[in-house]
Amino acid sequence: MNEHRRQILQMLSEGKVSADEAERLIAALEERPSGSSDNASEAGAKFPPKYLRVQVDSEDDGHEGPTKVNVRIPIKLLRAGVKLAGLIPVQALNRANEAIHEKGIPFDLTQIKGENLEELIDQLNDLSVDVDQKDHETKVKVKVFCE
Amino acid sequence: MIPFVAVVSLRGRKSRTLRIWVPLILVWLLLVPLAVLLSPLLFIGCLACRVNPVHAFSVAWQILCALNDTEIEVEQRSAGVSICVF
Repeated sequence: MNEHRRQILQMLSEGKVSADEAERLIAALEERPSGSSDNASEAGAKFPPKYLRVQVDSEDDGHEGPTKVNVRIPIKLLRAGVKLAGLIPVQALNRANEAIHEKGIPFDLTQIKGENLEELIDQLNDLSVDVDQKDHETKVKVKVFCE
Repeated sequence: MIPFVAVVSLRGRKSRTLRIWVPLILVWLLLVPLAVLLSPLLFIGCLACRVNPVHAFSVAWQILCALNDTEIEVEQRSAGVSICVF
């Protein structure tokens, strides 16, 4: 918090912000509950996510009608899946990498390792992806989150 | 633990729901003799692909165990399919 305040004062001294703006920024900093981000990460550490949820809600005005998809995948399954990727022979991984690079996707499958996934899963608690798409006939909502 | 039961629900457009309880434990029991018969082939296949057969078995077991609590639901109009694994 002090670091932020110092930055604001420095910006004020350099003339990057006016006195009023600096005052508003400091007030905004004070309104923010202290350590809110720390509390959130602590909560994430206490309650690691158990499931990955994917929800798709499509409202189609045409003849198809509305469609709903609700998938709940245990995080354990993701972990096991990545371990399965570790069984893929190196030659096959290299071929897959070449095919991916040909498509222009900068992704290296050999870099997927169990320990990296653990780190990723630990951070999944805060993950929430919302996609809304509207066409003239359809309205699709996709939601990906962990619980 | 490996999943013991899967529940498949089928809902028709007339709001009739057909719920099928699949005793997976029986499926596993039926598959065990087949797996035993195929194990030499799987072992040779693993060695040919330079994969540790013990590691492969361990991962396959972990995937099987992790299937617990998986839920998939698809609904369109009033019809829908739902699969839950316990």
